[in-house]
Amino acid sequence: MIAENTQTQMRKGILEYCVLLIISRGEIYASDIIGELKAAKLLVVEGTLYPLLTRLKNNGLLSYNWVESTSGPPRKYYTLTREGTLMLSQLDGTWQELSFAIAQSKESKKN
Amino acid sequence: MKKTLNINIGNSIIHIEEDACDLLNTYLIEVKQHFGKSADDFEIVSDIENRIAEMFTEMLHTQQKQVIELADVQMVIELMGSVKDFENDSEEASSETYSNPNFSAFGEKKLYRDTDEAMVAGVCAGLSHYLRMDVSILRVIAVMTVFLGGSGLLAYLILWVSIPKANTRSEKMAMKGEAVNLQGFKRNFEEELSNLRDNLRTAGDHMGPLVKQSRSFVAEFAEVLGAFMQGAGKTILKFIAVIIMISGSLALIAAVISVAALLGFWDASTTIFPLNIVDKGYFTPFVIAVLIVVVVPLLSLILLSIRVAFNGRSINRMFSYTLLLVWLCALSTGIFYVAKIGSEFKEDAEFTQNIPVKSYPAYNLSIDRSRFFSKEDSLHYQLNSSYYTGRIIQDDERVNFNAPRNVTIRIEKSENDVPSLTESYSSQGVNFETALYHAKNIHYDFVQKDSVLKFSPELHLLKNTNWRNQEVELVLKVPVGTRLNIDRDLDRYLQGYSLWDCGDDERRDEPYYGVMTVDGLKCKFDQ
Repeated sequence: MIAENTQTQMRKGILEYCVLLIISRGEIYASDIIGELKAAKLLVVEGTLYPLLTRLKNNGLLSYNWVESTSGPPRKYYTLTREGTLMLSQLDGTWQELSFAIAQSKESKKN
Repeated sequence: MKKTLNINIGNSIIHIEEDACDLLNTYLIEVKQHFGKSADDFEIVSDIENRIAEMFTEMLHTQQKQVIELADVQMVIELMGSVKDFENDSEEASSETYSNPNFSAFGEKKLYRDTDEAMVAGVCAGLSHYLRMDVSILRVIAVMTVFLGGSGLLAYLILWVSIPKANTRSEKMAMKGEAVNLQGFKRNFEEELSNLRDNLRTAGDHMGPLVKQSRSFVAEFAEVLGAFMQGAGKTILKFIAVIIMISGSLALIAAVISVAALLGFWDASTTIFPLNIVDKGYFTPFVIAVLIVVVVPLLSLILLSIRVAFNGRSINRMFSYTLLLVWLCALSTGIFYVAKIGSEFKEDAEFTQNIPVKSYPAYNLSIDRSRFFSKEDSLHYQLNSSYYTGRIIQDDERVNFNAPRNVTIRIEKSENDVPSLTESYSSQGVNFETALYHAKNIHYDFVQKDSVLKFSPELHLLKNTNWRNQEVELVLKVPVGTRLNIDRDLDRYLQGYSLWDCGDDERRDEPYYGVMTVDGLKCKFDQ
């Protein structure tokens, strides 16, 4: 249970980072984001993504355009805002630190 | 063969099978309940709906079919994830979702008619689910109450009409108290499927001319009858609604007009009995309160009939609340005045006066409808009292049947051999003074003309006096041996003695007379 909880917490933070990374590569549709995340084995169900995207958008990190679709309703295509890009570079820095911290922790255990 | 529905999800029209639609609906309700707490709930839900619509469109396209089936919806839910999955990954504290009162994990039980297990219309079966009682016990009670003056039958019909039938899967689940969420849904569906499988297996064994019937013949008949009632019944219902509408409107107009007339021509002492209880001081507010108490339900009945008859829209909620509020105000006002009127009967007062009666060996007792002018009468009718004194008003024979008997005559034996008449005037009031005042305002005519004693048939109240249970009790005392010829008309005023007891049936029409004996009044015949 505690292990599960920690995993969830770690996953949650990384999921946000990954979503921003995926979107930073260019305009993208939500279900394509899901495809990417599934390929990365980070996301289990699609329903989880929508609240996250809405929250990021409400925080001003993302914006979207409506694009007509041949199948079904019009789709939301997400892009990063300036703030989003800024946030992503901060996260990049944090990730460097984190991976360093983990690597360092593992190293010192070996010694 | 399965029924399909058209749904609009994410602005796409999708054909969907009924059970699949039920499942989807339950899922979306759960999703909405989950995200209902956050401010951007609408956007998230519409994102999810759009995505589901897109998935459906893709499914229909790739599988080359027309209709979304249950399996498709299950697949979509698997991809989207159930609310449980959201809770694990949820941003907010997941405890909030548990405190949501709408989200009942145990399922809120609702009363429906269970037509699947019905004997007649499924009322007992539905009640048994609701009350967690054995259905056969309820049926025995129901049948027993039918013999209690048919009350059970009436109750059954009322319940049949008022309790809705469990149609959809979610209604059937709510009826049995199962949680209407995905887990419950899945369980219910699997249960039904296994039942069906069992049925098919057993059906194969006893496949006769009669396919296994899980429902009684009466239930089938009731179903058909119900369907008929819905078709023909609708027309009948509309017809009844129109009748109610018309008669209700007429009653409404009549009520308003009669109240207006009442307020215009109000006079306490001259109006008919039940109205003259109300004091003039608060007659108007009381009558208006009563009018509203009567008119508001009448008005809602009319509005309801209009709605039934013309398939109109339901009444504005604000309007109906206002109506209810007005009605309650009027009701409390009415109750207040009724209590006030009740208090006017709290105290009793009585005063007595003795009237000497000239001595004769025989008296003729009769009812006299004529009335002497008293001084008060002259003032009442604004006549010149000096000119009209002693004149007689000829009253018509109109008897106020509604008024309680207020004149009683008792004939007793005189102890001192002197004839006399005692008049006791009594009345009620809020206190002793008012009661006495009311008693003093009673006017009663008694006249002796030689040996003829004339009694007035009723007492008279002075103008603007309310009815406060005013009564006149007359005690006529005559010496032993006095002969009394009593008029038949007097019988209804006599107390403790009835002229009809005099003689047997054959002698009823013969002339008779009463004689005062030591043991009281006795009747005698001439022959």
